[in-house]
Parts: sequence; C-alpha cells; structure tokens
Amino acid sequence: MTQLNITHVVVISLTAVFLLVALDRAGELRGPQPTYTPPAAPVAAAPVGQIDPDKGKPPPHNDTVADLPDGKGREATFYTCTACHGVALIKAQGLTRDLWDSTFDLMLERHRMVPVKPEERAEILDYLSEQFPPRRKSRNADNPFLK
Amino acid sequence: MRQSEPRNASRRNVLKGAGIAAAGLSLLPAGMALAQGTAPAAAKGPKLLEMEGKAKLIVLGDKPLNAETPAEMTDDDVTPIDKFFIRNNGLVPDAPADAKAWKIKIDGEVEKPMEITLGDLMSRFPNVSYKMMLECGGNGRSFFSPEARGNQWTNGGAGCAEWTGVRLADVLKAAGIKPSAVYTGHYGADPHLSGDTGKPSISRGVPIAKAMEPHTLIVFKMNGKDLPLIHGGPVRLIVPGWAGSTSTKWLTRIWVRDKEHDGPGMGGFSYRLAKTPIVPGSKGDPKDTVILESMPVRAVISFPADGAKLASKKLDLRGHAWAGENDVKTVDISTDYGVTWKPAKVDAPPNKYAWQRFTASVDLPAAGYYEVWAKATDSKGVTQPFVAGNWNPQGYGGNPINRIRVLVAT
Repeated sequence: MTQLNITHVVVISLTAVFLLVALDRAGELRGPQPTYTPPAAPVAAAPVGQIDPDKGKPPPHNDTVADLPDGKGREATFYTCTACHGVALIKAQGLTRDLWDSTFDLMLERHRMVPVKPEERAEILDYLSEQFPPRRKSRNADNPFLK
Repeated sequence: MRQSEPRNASRRNVLKGAGIAAAGLSLLPAGMALAQGTAPAAAKGPKLLEMEGKAKLIVLGDKPLNAETPAEMTDDDVTPIDKFFIRNNGLVPDAPADAKAWKIKIDGEVEKPMEITLGDLMSRFPNVSYKMMLECGGNGRSFFSPEARGNQWTNGGAGCAEWTGVRLADVLKAAGIKPSAVYTGHYGADPHLSGDTGKPSISRGVPIAKAMEPHTLIVFKMNGKDLPLIHGGPVRLIVPGWAGSTSTKWLTRIWVRDKEHDGPGMGGFSYRLAKTPIVPGSKGDPKDTVILESMPVRAVISFPADGAKLASKKLDLRGHAWAGENDVKTVDISTDYGVTWKPAKVDAPPNKYAWQRFTASVDLPAAGYYEVWAKATDSKGVTQPFVAGNWNPQGYGGNPINRIRVLVAT
C-alpha cells in the first residue's frame, strides 16, 4: 500500500479546490469579478467631412390659396404662379392688363413657365388686372407722422 | 353685426360696414378668420426676415427669398454679412460637403478649356481683397410711377462688403482667351424655382473688357469669412458697379462667347433700359432696348432714419453714395425741397467701386416738419433726378434724389 504522506494530502486538497472553483459556474466561491462592458456602439453622428446640405438656406416657405384675395380666377392664378414663386411677388405688383399680359409672356419666355390654355390665361389675366392694378399713391401718402 | 345696425341705416353706411368687415379682419376673432379660409390681417409695416445669421431685413418676397436692407441699417463703412441684402432668382442650392472640391468650368472661346476646383483656384492665382459695391439691378424700382414689374426695392438692394477672391482676368488669361472672345456667359448652381434642374434660373454675362477689369473677381470670402451659402457660397462672381445679376452666385461655369450672351436674363426687358423713351405704364418694344451696364449714381442717408423725431434744430447727418463705374464727386443736401443746396463732405473711396461716406451738418430754421434731401453727382457730372425717370417695364435705373422726413420737436 502506498502511504499517504503530507505531499499527497496537499496535492489532493489543492486539486479539489481547483476543481470546485472551476465547476463553480454560479461564482459563489469566487470574489466579485469585473462586469462585461460591450464596445461602444458607433456614434450616430455624420461621417467626418459631411455637413447638412440645408444649413444656411432660408426657412421653407409655403403659401395657400387664401393668401391671395378672393375673386374669380384665384385658384387658377394661385396654382399657375406658385408652381415657381410665392404670392408676395404677385401682390407687390400693380400693373395694367396690358402689362400683366406681357408679364405672362415674360414668365413663358424668360422663366419657362408651363403654358396654359388660352381661356385659362384670360381668366388669370382678368383676376390679376382686377386685383392688382396700378395703385401707387402720391409720395406723401405714407407720411410717417400721420400714423 | 348687421342686427346691431339701426333699421333705417343708409345704404352707404351698410356698404361701409360691409367694407370694414371685409377689409378689417381684426374685427373678427383670429380663429374665425382662419376657419373661413381668409388670410389673416397683415401686420402693420413690412415683413421682417427671420433667418439664422441675418438681421431683420425687409422681406420683398419669400420664394424666391429677396430682402432689402433698410437705409438706417446701412450706416457701417463695410456692410456686415448679417445686414447685407439678399437677392435670389432661383432656389438656394445645397451646401457642398467639401467647398474646396467645388468645380468651375471655363470653356468656349479659350485655347485651353479647364475645370478647376475652388481649392486649386485659391492656391494657383493671387488672392486679392477689395471693398466693393454689390447692387441689385432693380434697386430703386419702387420709385417708379406707375409701378414697374418686379421686386419693389427702395434703395436697400445694395451693400459694400470686403470681397476676397482671385481676378477673373488671371483665370481667363490662364485659359488663353481667343481673339474671337467678345462676351462671357455665367452659370450658377441655383436650381430653377420650378425645381427643374434642366433650366438655369438665370445666366447673365458681361463684355470681355469688363470681365478682364482687375476688380472683377471670383470670390470666396466676404468680410474675411467663408462666403455664406445665402450670398452665393462657396464661390461667386463679383462684377462691381454693374447689375448684381452679373455677379453670379454659386458659380459653376464661365462660357466665353463669340457674341453677346443670350442666357435667361439677357433678353426682353430683363436688365435693359428703353432706348427710345416710352410712355410710363406702356408695354414698350423689347427690341428697342439697351443693356443696363453701370449702375446709376445714388446717395442714401443712413442717419437719421426716415421718420426720426429730432430734439434739436442742428442735424448731423451721414450716409453713403456710389455711382457704378464712376466715383462720386459731390453730395448736396437740401432741407427746402431743392430750393437751396449745401455741399456735404465726401470721403474718397478706399478703392474703386467702394461706396463713399458723406457727412453734413445742417441747421433747420425752426421746429416742425422737414424733408432732408441728398443728391450725389458722379465724376462725369451726372446727377440724380427729382423723380424716377426713363420709365421701363421692369423698372431699372430708378435713382431719384434720396429723402428722409424728420420732425423737429417744438
């Protein structure tokens, strides 16, 4: 028989301790372990060098039919003209029918407006010349001291 | 409303009441006005710009955005970026991801057509800086009577910034101008208002001599800062002293032509004056026109403001004057509707094409209402008219004598 000496006792004891620790999946016999931290997710920011293409642009602007004064031809005028520009440009004008007529040609020729039917053109011109005729007042009509 | 009226209300009064109801929406609760689909009552005074990096300029139109600088905001020697007027013909293009990679093409009547990046342009050619006027061709249009067609600028479609860039002449020389070259055609990246990218919103040009003038620049800095997007950044032309539409924003191409350029904005009555004077308000003949080149002479009082109430009869006023291709020789001030004139002190410009400061001290005779007039005369002896003359359908060249109205306290 092999005698059990102190060396055997130490080896067996240490082996048992290692086995216990290795099999201790719940970690009850071990001290606190550092917790796992996943690698940081990529930041949602834009890649370097890319900028907001709208930065520096004017705020968006949308008009509605109600921004033009009521009258026959208002809708046709609104949808024809605001395909390109705002109603403020229309309202700033004060022209005779003749000049509104040449304005229509200017829009077609210079600004490449999509053509409309002759009857629609007539309706729009009637509306524009009735709503926005020449109306510039005398140079003292807006005196700042009469407000 | 009707129910509250006496039964015997006259027809006139009823009509008057109806008129007030129609015109004065302030009589109705705001929600009611909106529910009926009518426009809210316009706020008193002009619409003011609300935009990051910009002062409260006067909005002339939102689409395309056009906004002018009120006279009392033009007092700086060099117009700050935030106070500089805004003029657009099309939509504002996207800001580029890499400004230095922006490409400009030079082609047409040149020996070596080229496409150059902004970065290369900046490093290859000498960089120069000048304080120069940029002025909308339609500046002063609102002074015409009857109304001329277009944005109704007063005097605020003008500013004097310090522009840094390279000389267009240096770039054209590098490309080798052919003897056949007579005119330039400029193109920018601004999309047409319809959103159709196949249509340039505007494309104007200048005779070769003006393109080669050493102050005509391809510009990338404004007042020492990168040129802002709204002012044509990253790169634009500055053709000083001429209609601003030739100073193409978001520059992409210079087409050297063997004839006068014919892009959108070169024909009809666009940027053209009537050759034979026409009856104000009439259609005119687009064939009987001449291109507006140099802008006209103009003085604008920047202090005090129109409508100022003065505590004292002694008035120290100041402003700026400029004259397109020419210098300003004199500015005269009248406080009696042009009966008598007194010369203002006029400073020399820091360089050609910059506006010139004028200052004057006038003694108003007593308390009450006055108009203060300022009239500039250029180095060729050409002065400003009492009213906007030479009426033309699109209203160019409106430069009547400037006036402000003041009230001296009793």
